[in-house]
Amino acid sequence: MSQTKSLIDKQGKRTDGRTVGQLRNVKISVGVVKNADGSAYIEFGKNKIIVAVYGPREVHPKHMAQPDRCVLRCRYHMSPFSTDTRKNPAPSRREVEISKVMREALEPALMLEDYPRAAIDVYVEVLQADGGSRCAGISAASVALADAGINMRDLVAACAAGKVDDKIVLDINDTEDKEGGADMPVAYTPHLDEVTLLQLDGILTRDQFNQCFDTAVEGCKMVYEIQKQALMQRYFGNETEVKEEIQ
Amino acid sequence: MQELKRKYVIPGDKIVDGNFRPLMNVIRIGNSIISTRIGIAEAGRDGIKVIPLSGVYIPRINDIVIGKIVDRSSLSWDVDINSCFSAHLPAQDVFGRDFSPARDDMNRELATGDLITARIIAFDRTRDPMLTVQDRDLGKIPHGESLRISATRVPRLIGKRGSMIQTIEQATQTRVIIGQNGVVVVTGRNQDGIGLAVKAIKVVEEEAHTSNLTQRIKVLLNVPDTTPAQPQVSPPSSFAGSAEKSAESGDIPEVSPTKSALQSVSNIVQQPASNEQQSQDRGEQEQDESSRRHPEQARPDASKFTDSSHYPSISPSSDATSVASSHSKARSQDDRYRKSEEQRPVAGDTRKTKTPVKGIHDRLQEHGKKEGDNR
Repeated sequence: MSQTKSLIDKQGKRTDGRTVGQLRNVKISVGVVKNADGSAYIEFGKNKIIVAVYGPREVHPKHMAQPDRCVLRCRYHMSPFSTDTRKNPAPSRREVEISKVMREALEPALMLEDYPRAAIDVYVEVLQADGGSRCAGISAASVALADAGINMRDLVAACAAGKVDDKIVLDINDTEDKEGGADMPVAYTPHLDEVTLLQLDGILTRDQFNQCFDTAVEGCKMVYEIQKQALMQRYFGNETEVKEEIQ
Repeated sequence: MQELKRKYVIPGDKIVDGNFRPLMNVIRIGNSIISTRIGIAEAGRDGIKVIPLSGVYIPRINDIVIGKIVDRSSLSWDVDINSCFSAHLPAQDVFGRDFSPARDDMNRELATGDLITARIIAFDRTRDPMLTVQDRDLGKIPHGESLRISATRVPRLIGKRGSMIQTIEQATQTRVIIGQNGVVVVTGRNQDGIGLAVKAIKVVEEEAHTSNLTQRIKVLLNVPDTTPAQPQVSPPSSFAGSAEKSAESGDIPEVSPTKSALQSVSNIVQQPASNEQQSQDRGEQEQDESSRRHPEQARPDASKFTDSSHYPSISPSSDATSVASSHSKARSQDDRYRKSEEQRPVAGDTRKTKTPVKGIHDRLQEHGKKEGDNR
């Protein structure tokens, strides 16, 4: 990755006007797809992603079913119109890989053993991409899974950090991803304090790695607060305490 | 156990620290009890649980469910119970132990598309759930409008001691059968009433977790907030030995569901089917008031007064028998079972006596079938 121009100006502002430790604007809506058992829509800066969760439901083809646990299937897909040049809608190598890492990022948080012989399908559809779409997708998928009422040990929040102009910055966007020094997406379960996804594209020293990792985890915690707020808003409105007996 | 305030939780939220027993939708991690679902956390006598607000139906033994027959093999029916596991109803359960695939026609009892009320007798997650229809109020649902709601909303739809569903039933003059799997069947004579009941049920589903829901449902159904008025039934003296007057127009008399109201109608009827039935009715009324609401008891109190079986002179008996005949086989099969049941107050027999107006019932039955097919 070669760096051609300065991505952080003298005032310490990045290309989109953020400071080094600032997250893009994140907005999450829950329950946007009526047909799905659970769904979420996330705007992570310019990323716009819709996630629908179906299940637990019967496994087809039947031979995929596991006798002791549920099968989690993830499909990350970018719409042809999600990027400036048309993207072929056929699943690319990159999409197949992201589908796999998303599944592995979500699996530790789910109690799949509660639903043997069943399947949970997670469809992540990127409507507009601007760097960090896998992190945004994981965050939205986690909210959608909670909305679907699937037993979870914790929510999964994801956020990237990276190196731009030899500085560690939080939540890198498309330009910083392409022209910066490194990109590290991290998925994290805040209560369990476990990392479920850690990738790195670029070169970092050991110190930079640690700093980058800590920055990303801090970002995940910020994303978690937004996830929590979105779920609370959807299910309990503005109420924070139980007012009426439910049964 | 220390008092725990009920609170809203999402997956991963810590409910409480300490040595509590995890009951439902919670796990223990270290010394903490953690929620695994979105819902309302509360402490029961035995431990901590979360009442979930979302999720699909996962079968449990002894649940009463409403299922649709989707297929049959030579020995059992496959039943869709609105879950990720499809259930089985063994033919022996319906035909008895001497069932023979060669002799007995399974299609005559239950055809594809039929709706049944059934109880789950076995399910251990390694095998699909097994159903039975051998119990009071279980079996084929002849007609009605079915809809699916989230299984997590079923307790709210029933309400405290059945308050919510009773409100809906009484205001719309319908009978609502609720399966714990979230399938609801609304039956009644009045199409408008059924439509209104369906609308109300959907509102309950949408707004299950909000406060003052019962109030809003009452407004939707135009129910006065106070307790129902006294029975508007003429005194017994004006009757000449028949119940025809009380149900002349075919309407359900607006009677409050109290014991005294029931007795006043019973008094009107000079020629009840039998004294035994009358006493059964009272027993049933008392039981309804005292017992917890259950799908199998999901029946408006007011509808008792429209039971032509109890008062044969109300409606042309031909119709009542035509309805009953559709079940005659299953019922004769049940006879052995029923003999032991006769001493108990029976609520389920009302199903065979729905409509006094000939023709409507047949249409309803067709409608019910269509509904089933479309699902």
